[in-house]
Amino acid sequence: MKYKKWSSLAAAGAMFAGTLGLTGALPPPAGASSVVKLTYDLWDPHEEIGYKASIAQFEKAHPGIQVTINLVAYSAYQTKLQEEFTSGTGPDLFWVNTPWLSTWIKDGYLLPLNKYIKQWHVNLSIYYPSLVSLHSYKGKIYGLPKDWDTIAFFVNENYLAQHHLSVPSKWTWNPTNGGTFLSFLKQATTDKNGVNAASSKFDPNNVATYGVTIDNEAQTGWENFWQMDGCHVIPAAWASSVTFESPACYKTTYFLNELMYKWHVAAPGTLLGSNGEAPSSQDQALFAAGKTAMLMAGDWELTPVTELVGKKFKIGVAPLPSGPDGRWSVFNGLIDGVNPHSKHLAQALELERWLGSPASQKIMGEGGYIWPAVKSLDPLFAAYWAKHGINVEPFLEEAHGNVVNWPNTPGMNQALTDMGTTMGPIWLGSESFSSVTSILKNAYGLANHDLQAAGA
Amino acid sequence: MALAAAEVAPAPQRVLRTGRARQKRSGLSEFLHALPFVGPSMVGVFLFLLVPVVFVIVLSFLTWSGAGPFTWAGVQNWVSIFKFDNAAHSLEVTAYYVLLNIPLQTVLALGLAVMLNRKRRGMAFFRVLYVAPYLSTPVAMALIWFWVFQPQSGAADRFLALFGIHGPAWLESSLWAMPVVAAVNIWQYLGFNMLFFYAGLQGIPTSLYEAAQLDGASKWRQFWRISLPLLNPTMLFVLITDVIGSFQVFDTLYVLTSGGPGTSTQVMSIQIYNVGFQGTRYGEAAALSVLLFGVILMFSIGQFLFFRNRTTYEYS
Amino acid sequence: MSTVAITPSVLAPTPAHADLRQKIFQVSKLTLFYGVLTVVGIVFIVPYVFAVFGSLKPESSILTTPAWVPPTHPAWSNYPNAFISDPQVSTGFGRYMANTAIVTAALTTGQVFFSMLGAYGFARLKFPGRDAIFWVYLATLMVPNIVTIIPLYTEMHYFHMVNTYWGVFLPYALGTPYTIFLMRQFFLNIPQDVIEAARIDGAGDFRVLTRVVAPMSRPVLITAALIAFVFSWNNFLWPLVIMGSQSHYLLTDGLANFNSGPGAGGYLNLLLVGSVITLVPMLIIFIVFNKYIVRSIQLTSGK
Repeated sequence: MKYKKWSSLAAAGAMFAGTLGLTGALPPPAGASSVVKLTYDLWDPHEEIGYKASIAQFEKAHPGIQVTINLVAYSAYQTKLQEEFTSGTGPDLFWVNTPWLSTWIKDGYLLPLNKYIKQWHVNLSIYYPSLVSLHSYKGKIYGLPKDWDTIAFFVNENYLAQHHLSVPSKWTWNPTNGGTFLSFLKQATTDKNGVNAASSKFDPNNVATYGVTIDNEAQTGWENFWQMDGCHVIPAAWASSVTFESPACYKTTYFLNELMYKWHVAAPGTLLGSNGEAPSSQDQALFAAGKTAMLMAGDWELTPVTELVGKKFKIGVAPLPSGPDGRWSVFNGLIDGVNPHSKHLAQALELERWLGSPASQKIMGEGGYIWPAVKSLDPLFAAYWAKHGINVEPFLEEAHGNVVNWPNTPGMNQALTDMGTTMGPIWLGSESFSSVTSILKNAYGLANHDLQAAGA
Repeated sequence: MALAAAEVAPAPQRVLRTGRARQKRSGLSEFLHALPFVGPSMVGVFLFLLVPVVFVIVLSFLTWSGAGPFTWAGVQNWVSIFKFDNAAHSLEVTAYYVLLNIPLQTVLALGLAVMLNRKRRGMAFFRVLYVAPYLSTPVAMALIWFWVFQPQSGAADRFLALFGIHGPAWLESSLWAMPVVAAVNIWQYLGFNMLFFYAGLQGIPTSLYEAAQLDGASKWRQFWRISLPLLNPTMLFVLITDVIGSFQVFDTLYVLTSGGPGTSTQVMSIQIYNVGFQGTRYGEAAALSVLLFGVILMFSIGQFLFFRNRTTYEYS
Repeated sequence: MSTVAITPSVLAPTPAHADLRQKIFQVSKLTLFYGVLTVVGIVFIVPYVFAVFGSLKPESSILTTPAWVPPTHPAWSNYPNAFISDPQVSTGFGRYMANTAIVTAALTTGQVFFSMLGAYGFARLKFPGRDAIFWVYLATLMVPNIVTIIPLYTEMHYFHMVNTYWGVFLPYALGTPYTIFLMRQFFLNIPQDVIEAARIDGAGDFRVLTRVVAPMSRPVLITAALIAFVFSWNNFLWPLVIMGSQSHYLLTDGLANFNSGPGAGGYLNLLLVGSVITLVPMLIIFIVFNKYIVRSIQLTSGK
């Protein structure tokens, strides 16, 4: 009877394998065409639409190449890519954000492009210089800059008009008395009885509309204020330790806590999700619902915010106020990294060349997806949004002013995550100056630990 | 072929069928014969249960970032988890969760089981109704509860507002976040635990109660003196599984608070996830895992010992 | 001092009053009894009702109307919309459901099949080390899931199975100690004569298992299949850890991820659609297979 047993087992095994066949675990049937398939990883679903349009043009010009876009959630992005690179299955091209830039350069995920830039006769001066230097290390450049963003305020114009307010053209802030920034915010914050925060009759327990939301987030939140008060996260790119253990940092962070819990002009972090980081874009929802007069955000948020607001009110944009050290904004830009072990390196490089070119960036700018890294194309983006009733010039103004890069050093992504968690309490309730100081000191130790673990 | 000791018992039917040649089977051939049956699960248990247990202990002494080489770290990870990863705080928070969750859930489950242990109309209906959440995907339920407990716009605060009460910020409040998480968990598993107690109660012969009734014992006394002691095995089982389950709570907590606000709900499992998969410090995450394992073992052994002397299995 | 004797006859109500008071007492006790059960029942039902209502509300009213108010104009289109594509990702819940179905099918068939083989081996076959190995199986039941997540991930990393379907179900598809334990209990109780009869007819062990024992064991096999199915459908942490691309996400990961990212706050109604979609199969299973579920609880506690 043995043969029967084994044949039954074999039958069962075949059934099992058949089920697995559905999983796509088994390789696709042989006889694939000679078309080269590239994989391209990214995380933003709104920009994806623009990239699809740009890539369609690329595929028309290169009939032998097909590009598959892989959307990966931002929170899983670093891990997923790291995983794939170590097992040799990384994508051909992939977005690179600054928190991971140096780690990935160090680990060899990015192909240096100097040689190809010469071949393609690309003139790097067409791009913003700070973007070129951000993505360069020891003389090698690791990607063609393709976009940039700065931070400013989205403004509910209807609300301001209703309350006869307008954003001061050159407003200032300082950690001591808040400057004209604070006085504006006080007038823009109203309680349920219509009394604004500048009046002594203001009821802080019954606020109807807050002046602004400021998240517990480096890029769209505190790093801007820190920089404006001379407080830096790291002293320079590729630094091996953080440097925010300074009184300026403590004072500025305490100022942010006071905006929320002393003067009640900024929405309390408890409305912004755990730790005040707005992981579900609670800040956008609040703004769209008219619960805040202004939203501190980056220009990539234009699309989701306009979708949320719809026809409810007119959106305006106001630049950040100037701090004791002048007006600064966090300035960031992405590149497409080329996988040095790509099985189709020549084709991947073609795609890199296209996406870094003015032709592709024109498509992205015209469609209002993102500011192109090619300086001369900026008016296209501005024109798109002007047509949709929003003046986005303040973002551009800031790009031409003082800018600071998102901190770039190995391990920074982990450090920023841990800083966010540790600094959470500052957004979630009233804290004294000394407790803000000790919280920041803890964050400092933890951030250094993360940088060391990453071999910075 | 070597014969294994007492385990070789000739199977009579084989003698009948194929004659004396097959009378004694060797240990090895028995093993080979059984291999297709137990082999797959042995591979599974070895690869996916045993090896990980050993490996996590080893990993706690290594440094690994999810890529690249493993380097020796000695006891550094064990120091780091207390210095940087809030291990002590996470253990506290986990213990707090277990304390909020287990006693209340057990008492409620027992109470419901007692109530439903009567021969009244509709008991079966209620039993089925209460168990429904048990199968419901915890992540999906947690999202619904997340929405219910949104500050101001969620159903909970709106409901309180009907009575003029200004509800707290629930999941954003370090005071309320953990109780809400515990409440959601109780909601999810109450019916399931109730079923265990119900099965246990059903197993107690009614003659015992009748005898006690005749002796004039009140319903409360009957419960205390008959039901409860005879439920000890069930109680032990429920408590141990619930406690082990509570120490590992992840899905509901991840969706509701992800460890926040601040670190007020940052239980061990969330920290293991954060440190390992977000922080890419796998060695430290392994140390946290081993620490948690040790605590769970201690608890389980403690519970087992506590109940062992009090368990009555026999009753006349 | 003369004391007024308090005799029972003074205090006792008349028989008619006693009856009425008894009745009122009984009725109010009963009302309280059912009242409590009903209130508890409402607490259990409420989230499902809210979710269904919310999933049918348009974006504009999801944040502005209370959860217990049914939608005035149900936005039925929310369902097909969420299936095909949701604004957060270019893959929709349809894709997540397909992924979950594939993984669940593989995990369930594997787990039931190989557990059945293993349980038969431990229950009915004799081989050296059998009991010791079984005790090891039981011992692993004590290992909490979370403890093995990190090392399992490292293993999958070396097998190159991260971000693959294999990686999600393989750790559970070769038979698990719990299922083997359940089935073994059952198999032990199958009378020896039945097995002998089959053997006399010339059946080898595999045939005995598939032709004789398995058909007799339908209840435990169905229970095991249910346990596996529900486990896989609801599994969250492991798929979260293993899957990277959104097109590979299971329902649970897709749901959790949906709640974060640009504009997520405004798409709450679609999130609820996803929750309802995820919950419906579980509720159907619960209603249809209620008996088996209760039985599995009894089997476990009867240990």
